[in-house]
Amino acid sequence: MTWRRLLSTLAVLVFLLAVGGPSTGTAAAFPTENVTIEIWWHEYGPFTAYVKQLIEAYKKLHSNVTINATIASSTDMNQKLTVALAAGTGPDIMDADASYYVAYHAKGVLEPANLDVFGVKSYEELANRYVTGGLASGTFDGKIYTLPYQGNSMSLFLNNKLFAEAGLDPKKDAPKTWSDLMALCPKLKKVDGKRTVRKAFEFPYHSPRWQLQDLQPMTEQFGGKILSDDGKTAYLNGPATVKALTLWRDVTKACGDPKNTKNTASNPNQDYVDGFTAMWITGPWATPQVQASPIKNDFTVVGFPQVDPAKPHTMVYGWAWGVNKNRPEPNKLVAWDFVRFMLSKPDEWLAKAGFVQPVKGVAETDVARKFPFFDVHMKDVQTASWYVRSENVNEIAQAVGRAVDAVVYDGADPKAQLDAAQASIDKVLKK
Amino acid sequence: MRRAMRHRGAIVKYPLLLAVTFVGLLPYYWMVTCSLKTNANMFLVPLQWIPNPVNWSAYGEAWRAQDFTRYFLNTGFVAIAITAGNLLLASLAGYSLCKFRYFGRGALFLMILSTMMLPLEVTMVPLFLIVKTLHWPNTYEGLIVPFLVDGFGVFLMRQYLKSIPNELIEAARIDGASEFRIFFQIIIPLCKPALAALGVFTFREAWDMYIWPLIIVTKDSLRTLPLGISLFMSSFGTAWDQLMAVATIGTLPMILLFFFLQRSFIQGIAISGLKE
Amino acid sequence: MQGWPRIGKILVGAIATAEPRAPRPRFRLNLSAKQALFGYAILLPTVAILVIFRFLPMLQAFYFSLHEYDLIRPARFVGLENFIDLVQDPLFLNSARVSIAYVVLSCVPVWVLSLALAVLFNREIRAKNLFRSAAFMPVVMPMVVNAVVWTFMYHQDGVVNTILAWFGVDPIPWLRSSTWALWAVILIGIWRATPYYMVIFLAGLQAIPNEYYEAAKIDGADAWTEFRHITLPLLKPTTLLVMVMSVIVAMKVFAVPLIMTGGGPADSTRVLPLFIYQTAFEFFKMGRAAAMSVFLFAAVMVFTLFQIRLFSGGED
Repeated sequence: MTWRRLLSTLAVLVFLLAVGGPSTGTAAAFPTENVTIEIWWHEYGPFTAYVKQLIEAYKKLHSNVTINATIASSTDMNQKLTVALAAGTGPDIMDADASYYVAYHAKGVLEPANLDVFGVKSYEELANRYVTGGLASGTFDGKIYTLPYQGNSMSLFLNNKLFAEAGLDPKKDAPKTWSDLMALCPKLKKVDGKRTVRKAFEFPYHSPRWQLQDLQPMTEQFGGKILSDDGKTAYLNGPATVKALTLWRDVTKACGDPKNTKNTASNPNQDYVDGFTAMWITGPWATPQVQASPIKNDFTVVGFPQVDPAKPHTMVYGWAWGVNKNRPEPNKLVAWDFVRFMLSKPDEWLAKAGFVQPVKGVAETDVARKFPFFDVHMKDVQTASWYVRSENVNEIAQAVGRAVDAVVYDGADPKAQLDAAQASIDKVLKK
Repeated sequence: MRRAMRHRGAIVKYPLLLAVTFVGLLPYYWMVTCSLKTNANMFLVPLQWIPNPVNWSAYGEAWRAQDFTRYFLNTGFVAIAITAGNLLLASLAGYSLCKFRYFGRGALFLMILSTMMLPLEVTMVPLFLIVKTLHWPNTYEGLIVPFLVDGFGVFLMRQYLKSIPNELIEAARIDGASEFRIFFQIIIPLCKPALAALGVFTFREAWDMYIWPLIIVTKDSLRTLPLGISLFMSSFGTAWDQLMAVATIGTLPMILLFFFLQRSFIQGIAISGLKE
Repeated sequence: MQGWPRIGKILVGAIATAEPRAPRPRFRLNLSAKQALFGYAILLPTVAILVIFRFLPMLQAFYFSLHEYDLIRPARFVGLENFIDLVQDPLFLNSARVSIAYVVLSCVPVWVLSLALAVLFNREIRAKNLFRSAAFMPVVMPMVVNAVVWTFMYHQDGVVNTILAWFGVDPIPWLRSSTWALWAVILIGIWRATPYYMVIFLAGLQAIPNEYYEAAKIDGADAWTEFRHITLPLLKPTTLLVMVMSVIVAMKVFAVPLIMTGGGPADSTRVLPLFIYQTAFEFFKMGRAAAMSVFLFAAVMVFTLFQIRLFSGGED
């Protein structure tokens, strides 16, 4: 007993030192003159509230710093940021999905992380504070340019009450594989004449990005890939992808009804929290929303379904903070320092914003312990590859989404649709 | 015989009119009633046509969730400024284009028309670059000046003003009135209906602006209502009752404006639609 | 480009000098230089603003079309490459097809319905103002609100399907079907445009002198003949205006597909303005987007000119 306690205390200590540690040297002195920086982030209730608190707290520490905030919806943020960067303006601290940073880096607008601010001597040292591969999506040419403030895996959420009604036990009968999942569907799906009263499981259709987020791990589970590591070749019509899309179609026929939904781009979890679907794949950040819904705490989370549980493949994505290169030096230093400040308490970040930072030691904190099914989310993070990283990520997602929609809504042939998707992306990647 | 025919006509007319009214008002009705429903009753099957229980809290909650008062005032200010600008400049331009002759008049009109043909999304980036050179991002000027006049307004006013008899203007000139006096004391009073029509349309477009404010506004204090609504939708999943409440409030100014200006407004469109 | 001056002349001629053909004593304006100067002066602010903020950006957008431009790195000249690519690109062709489908399927019903409603409102009606105001309400609703409310109404168990059920029609998966999604957008377009053009047609109808109808009645014509031989021909200028305006507006439709469907499902609602926007701001391909907008502009111009030609030949 005591050994265990000692070890976990040690772990917490190490973690606190590693992440929350004050910057040792102030080699480049923190500016004493008045500095005003701009930060943009995308709206999400708890997250917005928390960052605003952090801004207030930072102002108390550094009275010469003013931080101006701009918030936009996640769909609007990309357009806004792109136009601003195009005109040479843009914020000091930007917030974008990790996959967009490939494009921004290629365009030369990102400033590498300030090592002094983080109290490290090399980028490797900084990377070591994170779980393996945690910073992969923000690392280019060996330098770290962005720091993720969320590493969201996507896992399977179950509705306990609906399981119980169907005579199933959410713990014992929870599916591990896609076949398991399909076997549950006849019991969970309720149809009344022509109307679907309740779905057993549904894939997303409100956004091509969400569709690719699911299709990517499914493809990897069949032994394939969506995009090569150098980002120059796509495998959209490879045998693994075709199998994945075929599986998607079969699961949908047995378990879902895409024509009938309340989900929208701004509220993807609606069907699940309304009890309209018994099983749904989403991220840990959805937990506060689920708890605020009629479901309350009566839910279970299990790992993303697999083809072969011995070789699990999952997916992780996340939004990250980046710093604008085209700003004055004091701004950039303050910007990185504020980023450090924001990320310095991952447990509070989890508790208040609902996001998991992919740093080491998060799992051992109290907050994490109290967070429902944290271990499941972390396990899916550990077996995950990052969501497709490419300048052309939006085109790839749209091409995939097009194929998925055609197969599901129009009964088109998966191979033919994916061939078309591949052809369009080949042209894009060739340039 | 006549009376019988009128009755027959009535049997067809009034149901049709009622159907048209129903279709025209349905979305408004739905918007308002949903704002008064509880979230639990929002998706009932079968539909709840009349909210029961009636729940007013959505209005208060939604309004407090963001700085909607500020957004409302911003949008109002910008919309009024743009409308005023359009009314003045478009009527001046329309007057010039149909009652005066000068070299290049046709070409200028063509140029003005051509600006109506492309959607804003296409010209947005170059426009932003221009606005940035003027140091107008994040200012009211940036929101207002690019839209101070629109080709559509010029077109509408010109159409309407064509119907004013030249004799009137000539007579005033012979009497020694200055050009500006003619414009403000004769022309303007005569085109009230067209001005009302243009006013309502311009106000609606200005009230509705979404993409442009998104691009050039970063300060929360300058945000417009449509942006606020969009932001609201992504907050924490959609609270439909609150979203409908915000939508209702966002529509009210338009409805009020329309009711006050109705007669003139409809007359304005009608007469400017006539090519004599 | 031989034909351009001629077409330009026709357009300028048709627009700038179109005068009523009916014999009316005309007063020629006093062509003093002072008046011409006044004319220029009051036109100047409008021209200045439109040139700086609309016309120049338009020209710049056309300039971009000859380049590869990802909005951040400097633009690279590629000549006509964008245009050649587009003509062979199935996605662009699909978008063009969707736009044309939307324009035809929304405008034609609008023309018919608005004329029909105008005929209806031209009759003797009690409480006409009330009915007319109610009928006109669709025009007043702001676009963003419009898109949001209709999204709500198109739910599987929503208002639209409930009303359809009164007529025995099965629920239609409006926004979740590649067959029906475009119709969902079209319906909104028709709902919004019909009252506006109805008012224009109404004015046109009311301007037709009663003598024509009385003469026709004496000759024993029935309602349908009256309509075909008196009403329609005399409505020609009005009809031209309605057709041109409605098509221009329909070709620019953007907000509803953006907010309601995002272009899906399966690209069925990806109208050209939306595709242009996504190409510029989601795919970072401004040059390509600009090239597409050149096509869009050309299409609108051609249509407008064609209509004017069609209607100005044969004025009786």
